Amino acid sequence: MPVLRAFIYLFFTLFLFIPLVAILLTALTGDLVNIPGAFTSIERLTATVGRVAEKLTAEHLLELVTVQRYLDATRNSLLLSAAVALLCVILTLPIAYGLARTALPVKWLIGGLALFPLILPSFIAADGFMLMFGRVGWATQIYQALGGSGVPIDIRSWVAVLITQTLTFSPFALLPMTANFKLIDPVLEEAGQSLGAHRLLTWLTVTAPLAGPGIAASALLVFVITLSDFGAPVILSPRQFPLLSVEAYREMSGYFNWAGAATLALVLAILASFFLYLQRSVLRRGQYAMIAPVAGRRGIVTDRKVTMPLFAYALAFLSFPIALVASVALQSFATTWGWRLLPDGYTLENYAEVLSTSPAIYNSLLLGLGALVVSLVIGAGAAYLVVRGRMTSLDFVGNLPLAIPGVALGIALILTFNSPPVKLTGTAFLLICAYALRRLPHMLRTTAAAIAQVKRDLEEAALNLGATPGLMIWTVVAPLVLPGIIAGCILVFVTVIKEISVTVLLAPARWGPMSLEVFRHLLRGEFYLASAMAMLILAIVAVLQFAAQRLAGERALF
Amino acid sequence: MDNQAFVRIQGLTKRYDGVLAADNVSFEVRRGEFFALLGPSGCGKTTTLRCVAGFEVPSTGQIFIGERLVNALPPYERPCGFVFQSYALFPHLTVRDNIAYGLNTRRFRRGGLVSKLSVLARMTSSRIARLPADVVERVERALGLVGLGGLGFRYPSQLSAGQQQRVALARALVIEPEVLLMDEPLSNLDLKLRVEMRDVIRQIQNALSITTIYVTHDQEEALGMADRVAVMRDGRIEQLGTPIEVYSQPQSPFVAEFLGGANRFLGRVLRRDASYASAVIGDGIEIAATAAPEGREDVSVIVRPESIRIATDSRELPGPNVLRGRVTKRTFLGPIVRYEVTAGPLSLKVDSGSDGSIVSVGSEVTVTIPPERVLLL
Repeated sequence: MPVLRAFIYLFFTLFLFIPLVAILLTALTGDLVNIPGAFTSIERLTATVGRVAEKLTAEHLLELVTVQRYLDATRNSLLLSAAVALLCVILTLPIAYGLARTALPVKWLIGGLALFPLILPSFIAADGFMLMFGRVGWATQIYQALGGSGVPIDIRSWVAVLITQTLTFSPFALLPMTANFKLIDPVLEEAGQSLGAHRLLTWLTVTAPLAGPGIAASALLVFVITLSDFGAPVILSPRQFPLLSVEAYREMSGYFNWAGAATLALVLAILASFFLYLQRSVLRRGQYAMIAPVAGRRGIVTDRKVTMPLFAYALAFLSFPIALVASVALQSFATTWGWRLLPDGYTLENYAEVLSTSPAIYNSLLLGLGALVVSLVIGAGAAYLVVRGRMTSLDFVGNLPLAIPGVALGIALILTFNSPPVKLTGTAFLLICAYALRRLPHMLRTTAAAIAQVKRDLEEAALNLGATPGLMIWTVVAPLVLPGIIAGCILVFVTVIKEISVTVLLAPARWGPMSLEVFRHLLRGEFYLASAMAMLILAIVAVLQFAAQRLAGERALF
Repeated sequence: MDNQAFVRIQGLTKRYDGVLAADNVSFEVRRGEFFALLGPSGCGKTTTLRCVAGFEVPSTGQIFIGERLVNALPPYERPCGFVFQSYALFPHLTVRDNIAYGLNTRRFRRGGLVSKLSVLARMTSSRIARLPADVVERVERALGLVGLGGLGFRYPSQLSAGQQQRVALARALVIEPEVLLMDEPLSNLDLKLRVEMRDVIRQIQNALSITTIYVTHDQEEALGMADRVAVMRDGRIEQLGTPIEVYSQPQSPFVAEFLGGANRFLGRVLRRDASYASAVIGDGIEIAATAAPEGREDVSVIVRPESIRIATDSRELPGPNVLRGRVTKRTFLGPIVRYEVTAGPLSLKVDSGSDGSIVSVGSEVTVTIPPERVLLL
């Protein structure tokens, strides 16, 4: 037990705490600080501390307000995140209410469509957006056929980013809000109505305020996710609209400006942490109104005047992500796609080329497997300690990676491991550890839930009946916990395949996974190949995510 | 059941973060005896039981099963069968495999590598491997003993609470333990089931003559099932004796009030003789009893509601402990009627059989308390 705990804390120290200190120190000194190297000897330690003390300056942090581009990036990121959050909530609220409290037709279909964007990484959604609204995009053609001139939306604009992100992140607002609406006891609404309020007034004065905290929490969740997003912004955002995640990446990969990258990474981390904290406290305070879900058909609105418009709206809204993916799919099978609504011809050449020339698929699978093993050992170990050993501090630490955006983590890791004695940059090992770290909170959560369901007296019963602790774990705990763990593992694997922000910063050329390949193809203008690879990613993700959900239910979603 | 001590607890103390859950608990359980640990929540009864089972390590004290000191033995090496309040049936195994679990662990320990693997497979999932014939026979016998023959292939989730309870019992018994430990096994059942299961458990225990320690907070259960009862409070045993002893001769107000109802008044001893004593309560009312504790004057005067006679005639009745009063409340409980009678400054709870005459509220009544039924504690 103590060995496990030490091992877990070692992992977090090496790959989370030290890197965070690294970006702090680099932002404060403007230079690389070799933290692992500092601990090799007392002299090195004193020398490093001395150097840091000498160079301490606030000038790099001040660049946040003095350099116009940084200031704009911060402002734009905050505004964009707020806009996406608000739009997501407003646009999906009717659907959430419809799913939770009305008798919508074919609910299973609407529910499935609502989940669909979860398999869609934002960079693939961006690809689809370009296909639809580019100069020769099919949506543009429809728009022009209807009398419009030029393009309806400039694909290199903040509007493009806004729309793409809203469509991609809608499940993160829709799903919690649906669950939230389901939990509000219909008795309260009936009470409102019995006191004389007609349906809309009841909704405004009873349902909405009760749902308020849940809605606010969903909005904040989307806010944090948007703030951290890298894929869509890097593809669609124009130079004139800098964003924190993109600028941080450019400072690091383009200009090797350690100080600038560190400063922006620091800002990203602090902002994300703050809003995540806000989300958690809103969520906690909202628990007062949550009474256990009422089984049965009480409180379900069946009035067609309500359900039909909601149904039509839901279909309309949820079909957009499908349209994005359909565009990508069509292009992946296309020979060329010019001035028509559909491709000129169809072929499997793109797939053939993608599958034969690059080891990217092989790389993705290996990296995914590696991340799976690491996060399983650390995550399951931590979960066992949290649940059985009641180590609540580990619970907090285990959830920290959620607050660090991918770009910030990538930068932090590069700054930490760029020089001997621990030079890990450019290795697959570092990438795997980064992937594992980012998914640790989710692994921790699903595994802890699985372990918690094995009540202590089941273990004691086994012991009493003659099982040694080892036999007990093998025959009682493991069979009950396994489905949840497997689902968690599958999800780690899936996320690695979809991941782009840490990948672009840390992936070595030899180990480029599928997501990096898509990115490269897009940069080189090889759109057809990019789409083929993107569809392969989506196919793998869709199948695995479905399997995970079968194994562990709703908990497996995100 | 013989008089030989089979389980011996000596000076058991268990401390959690400075809180004394069990405080110098000592008692013996005879071979074949049904022994109850009774008390309110937090009195230490479950802690004591878990120490016997090996789930808790005592801070001090010794536990003997048979003649063996078992303190150092982990739970899987102790000859106990434990029945949990929540039944703790393994949800991923059928009833049969649940009951066979204990037999499988023994097979596992005894066999060679191949045998170990096959037993392991069977223990992990009911869908693989097979149970050998002798195990099946013992499982079926256990199922028959608890009255669940034929339900072997069901999963726990497909059983009712009462059935799960029986499976838990069968599982603990099939390994033929030397001691059966039961931790409030009937708390999660509704009243009728509880009463029914009490009989089932006691019958099985009698038939097998298995030494049993039974923890409960329900005094009816303890009084109805046990050969001897230990009443516990705040980690200590307040009184130990047969159900009749602890009920009719409680040694402290706590025990008197915990078992059955009680009227309780504070009084001072007035007379203390060989077979006569009395105490003064309230405004100087003298209550006669048959004995008073030595060495102190302040006593609790305790009278059980069923010991008080209530009569409506206004004749002056002879004898000590006769009081005139008025009925202020009446609750009809079916077999008995519970009255509240105000006699001067005293308020008395009186239980009377409902097959006699039932007195209405507001009537003037005479209440009589036989001195031998008055407890001065």
